[in-house]
Amino acid sequence: MKQTLSLIAILAAYPALAEETRQLDAHEHGVGALNIAVDGTTLAMEFHAPGADIVGFEHAANSQEDRAAVDAAVATLAAPLDLFVLPAGAECSVTQASAELESEEDHEDHAADEDHEDHEDHEEHAEHDEHEEHADEAGHTEFHAEYTLNCANPEALTEITFAYFDTFENARELEVQVITASGAQAFEVERDAPVLDLRSQF
Amino acid sequence: MILRLAIASLLARALTVGMTILAIALSVALFLGVEKVRTGAKASFADTISGTDLIVGARSGSVQLLLYSVFRIGNATNNVTWESYLDIAARPDVDWIVPISLGDSHRQFRVMGTTQGFFEHYRYRQGRPLEMSDGVVMDDLFDTVIGADVAKTLGYSVGDPIIVAHGLASFTEHKDQPFRVSGILEKTGTPVDRTVIVSMQAIEAIHVDWQSGAQIPGQSTPVEAIRQMDLEPKAVTAALVGVKSPLQTFALQRAINEYPEEPLLAILPGVALQELWGIVGIAETALLAVSVMVVVTALIGMMATIFSSLNERRREMAIFRAMGARPEVILGLLVLEAVLMAAVGTLLGLALLYVGLTIAQPIVDAAFGLWVPIDTPSMREILTLLAVIGASALVSLVPALRAYRISLADGMMVRT
Repeated sequence: MKQTLSLIAILAAYPALAEETRQLDAHEHGVGALNIAVDGTTLAMEFHAPGADIVGFEHAANSQEDRAAVDAAVATLAAPLDLFVLPAGAECSVTQASAELESEEDHEDHAADEDHEDHEDHEEHAEHDEHEEHADEAGHTEFHAEYTLNCANPEALTEITFAYFDTFENARELEVQVITASGAQAFEVERDAPVLDLRSQF
Repeated sequence: MILRLAIASLLARALTVGMTILAIALSVALFLGVEKVRTGAKASFADTISGTDLIVGARSGSVQLLLYSVFRIGNATNNVTWESYLDIAARPDVDWIVPISLGDSHRQFRVMGTTQGFFEHYRYRQGRPLEMSDGVVMDDLFDTVIGADVAKTLGYSVGDPIIVAHGLASFTEHKDQPFRVSGILEKTGTPVDRTVIVSMQAIEAIHVDWQSGAQIPGQSTPVEAIRQMDLEPKAVTAALVGVKSPLQTFALQRAINEYPEEPLLAILPGVALQELWGIVGIAETALLAVSVMVVVTALIGMMATIFSSLNERRREMAIFRAMGARPEVILGLLVLEAVLMAAVGTLLGLALLYVGLTIAQPIVDAAFGLWVPIDTPSMREILTLLAVIGASALVSLVPALRAYRISLADGMMVRT
């Protein structure tokens, strides 16, 4: 009984402690990130880019136009093979794709959500209003997408052509990290040279 | 016709031509050798650690974490608490996790506390495991395994006692708990060679009577009592992590980087090594620049010999002209001779390189842990060789043009 009580006490104190941790991801306009991991015939990709790169603004999408722009961007990001063109010989097909717009306050909530959902409820609401205003002033937003692909012939993955830069004109650079059986490597792909040579990786 | 003439003319001046070819061959061999060592060094560096998917430590910078966890250079900004370590170890996507605890030293070498897992999972040079050259992996609390350089420098062999010093450059030693060398590792060419490896529990054990960095006066727990103690570590310096599937690496990395209870950092060793190489890689460019200059010097030397040969060959050129050779033929002859010299020179240089590599490879590997691979010349090297030959043609144009202009008049004139 005593133990249970102390456990409850710890749990109750927990969210209060969690709120003490403050952290923010780095955010650089013009620079997105693409992580690619290959295991056998499965290819997992993760994509992050600042809202400024994708839709040109990072304020909350209040107007009709802004919302339409965000929706269009999310739809475009959900089709990875049009943005990151893989060689036809690899015979890749998308098995799963999701894209979303993530703002900083979402981010914090997400992190908290994992641990203690019920506790947060009312507090979250109270906080939300505050954050919303915040977002209007200086908040940053990020687009985030995750893809799973199946490539029948992964040996043919010799390069990636980034049509991404043609689609999103504000994007200047993508930091690409690739994990294959031969280890992890980082690359920088820039608008001027939007082709990534992966031959050393396979 | 002109080719036969060129060859015959070169053979007629075998000695000077031979020296020129030798100069070119040596410079080409040097250039390619530097190139091989450069790529070998880069590969050896990148192969310092392989098979590890993530390195976890306190949040600092990726290069710094790599430096202290793998290269044992510098110090950790913070430790990772044992709770966080266990938290990460318990994650479903973690296949294996090996803790590393640094901070003590033995003479000039660092002491690293770890588990048996280190010997199973640490890989270097594209997946090579650590191997014992003598003895066995530690299995007693006070056993140590030492790297090849440690054994060589300090002259240790299996069974020798060693005393670990507290901290990195201090004179306070953990005298109460002497260790015994249980095994010596094979030379790897990685920082493991310069490391004294003990178990995690041993690190705790030697600090039993220590508080805030100093030994509590008069207190000394007997070794037997320490053996009975619960020696669960309170913190680790860093941890090597392997994931079940590479697909989970990024997700795990993000989860650790956003770990709310403690500021942690997870890095991809390959990417961090690349970043670090970007810093030390300037030396690489300097090396390359020096060897390019050597090749240029050899080519200019060749130009000088052609110039001086023009003098000897005044008559020859004039006779060619008198017999009806157009000045272009003279020009072509000289350029062709130069190209032939350069071609023979580069081929000889290539041969020199491979002979040299075959002899030096095992020596360099044993002495510096630098593995210089012997393989067929890369496309880049072949292009460089062709560039050398092309450059020789270009360089020889200078004396050839001179000959083109003056061959007839000059050769016909009788000089006194």
